[in-house]
Amino acid sequence: MTLSLVLSLLALALVRGTPILLASLGGVLSERAGIVNIALEGEMTAGAFAAALISFFTRDPWIGAIGGVAVGAAVGFALGFAATRWRVDQIVAGMGINLICTGGAAFGLIFVFNQAGVTPQVPAINQELWPLVILGIILAAALQWALSRTPIGLRLRACGENPHAARAAGIDPLAVRLYASAIAGALAGLGGVFLALGELNLYSDGMIAGRGFIALAAVIFGRWTPLGAAGVALIFGLLEALQFALQGNIAWLPSDFLQALPYIAALIALLGASGRYRPPAAEGKPYP
Amino acid sequence: MKRESVKAMLVGTLGVVAAMSLAMLASHVSPILGFNAFFYGAFGGKQQIAETLASTTALLFPALGIAIAFRAGLFNIGAEGQLLIGGLLAGWLGTRIDVPPALAIAAIFIAGALGGAMWGAIAGWLKAARGANEVISTLMLNFIAASLALYLVTGPLRAPDAAGPELSLLPHAYWLPTLLSQTRATIALPIALLAALALRYVLDRTWFGYRLRAAGEAPEAARRAGISLSRVALWAMAWSGALAGMGGAALVAGELHRFNTQLSPGYGFIAIAVALVGGLEPLAICVAALAFGALESGGLALQAAAAVPKDAIHVIEGLLVFALAARRYLGAKGVTAQ
Repeated sequence: MTLSLVLSLLALALVRGTPILLASLGGVLSERAGIVNIALEGEMTAGAFAAALISFFTRDPWIGAIGGVAVGAAVGFALGFAATRWRVDQIVAGMGINLICTGGAAFGLIFVFNQAGVTPQVPAINQELWPLVILGIILAAALQWALSRTPIGLRLRACGENPHAARAAGIDPLAVRLYASAIAGALAGLGGVFLALGELNLYSDGMIAGRGFIALAAVIFGRWTPLGAAGVALIFGLLEALQFALQGNIAWLPSDFLQALPYIAALIALLGASGRYRPPAAEGKPYP
Repeated sequence: MKRESVKAMLVGTLGVVAAMSLAMLASHVSPILGFNAFFYGAFGGKQQIAETLASTTALLFPALGIAIAFRAGLFNIGAEGQLLIGGLLAGWLGTRIDVPPALAIAAIFIAGALGGAMWGAIAGWLKAARGANEVISTLMLNFIAASLALYLVTGPLRAPDAAGPELSLLPHAYWLPTLLSQTRATIALPIALLAALALRYVLDRTWFGYRLRAAGEAPEAARRAGISLSRVALWAMAWSGALAGMGGAALVAGELHRFNTQLSPGYGFIAIAVALVGGLEPLAICVAALAFGALESGGLALQAAAAVPKDAIHVIEGLLVFALAARRYLGAKGVTAQ
């Protein structure tokens, strides 16, 4: 393999990995604050759809991107609100949000564009993808630092480990969880924006294709740390890129096997990772 | 029923009606006409009721399976893959055997259960042996199941008469008998209801069910009492997968009459909502499955009659899940992620 081939493979890996990375950072943030985030898939869907929609009408992809992030944040806020103020079961609420977002986007396609399945082509930011890729990596490092080294990070982690102690220390766990969930939604929404306006220039039903759940896997594999999750997300990106590179080059390997490669690799990694995964202690538990 | 849950259900129903009305108004359809079409589509005649029952059946099997895993504290989101592998094995066996129909149908269901159980047990084994998180493993196994099924039906198991990614048609004698003639409502529904009754008995009255619930509700206490959490994880996932796999067999023998990789339009995922709305109680899950089944078939009719897109129904289902989630007791029943 020549150097340029390796470089283009790595570049593709970064592009494929970034949406997963962004969503997984959101997952880390909300889970460390104590909110299980099954809703990443729905938040990515909402972000991608809103971004394409707004970009179509404003003809400005950056406004679309901001809109997608805002809508993702709103969805995250809804999850956080239900989980904190209504004390609903977070997994149930997350599943509900996924259904609402995927169904809502499909409904919106017909309602707005009067066509099923896909939006028309919209103005995109394909040429300026790299700033977003770099932003994702910087965000991972910044979140790592913020979570482990700043008072705000400490407070957020306290809410995920022991909200009663946090309360005693003068922190409002409900507010912290609510905002963490909203920011998580914004990050997952940005992941959706990256897919809709970065890699493509449209929204189509099913385009998220389980990336929100893969991001959830990255959160757990990365042991609930931003850098860990980001690393795992990029490995997923690399496996996806490898799948593209190998497709058609190796005759004896069925292409369906290549399709399944990232997931088989994850399973094998699970076998090897004998260490226990310890989630934040109070994760998923309503407070008070 | 507690007053609170009655209130939550009332609020949920009202919310669903309001949301559906909004969706109809947004699509320029009068809600009166819309609801008319919806209820006609779900319950209006023999064919409509049969469609509702068929959707109910397709959701009930995986939802019961999911409830087993959730009650054991295992977040199994792999019902979709387990259903697919169960259906694959059932559809393959159905074209390979030559026995009396009753025996064949039993064999097809057992094959479905075995396929699903095997796929679920992989995640259970990973959990038991390596402490691997079941959220990741069941999720990955969904993707792998889809690829494996596609590979097998387009490669080694390729059928000469296949028009798509599918196996050969089952012999006509092996098609499930229908409950209502000329419809898709088959005896798979009573089988699913029996499974629900059996599951209720097993969970509430047997030693296995006791250990399973103990592992889900208080794992540390269960472990100290000598219950092997690893074994519970393995068997709970296997049984969970077995029920989902029977759902695959029911779809193969009752609806498509052959295995196709597009067997399930996400039943395994919607079933998670069904199980949760049913509060992880087998009998309540039957009611929830009927409600979701009616939404699915009524939604299709709404799309045909009033041009309200069927996807609006998924929004409604999501709202229903959300509203009923307010019944707080769910958390106490062993649903804990990770």
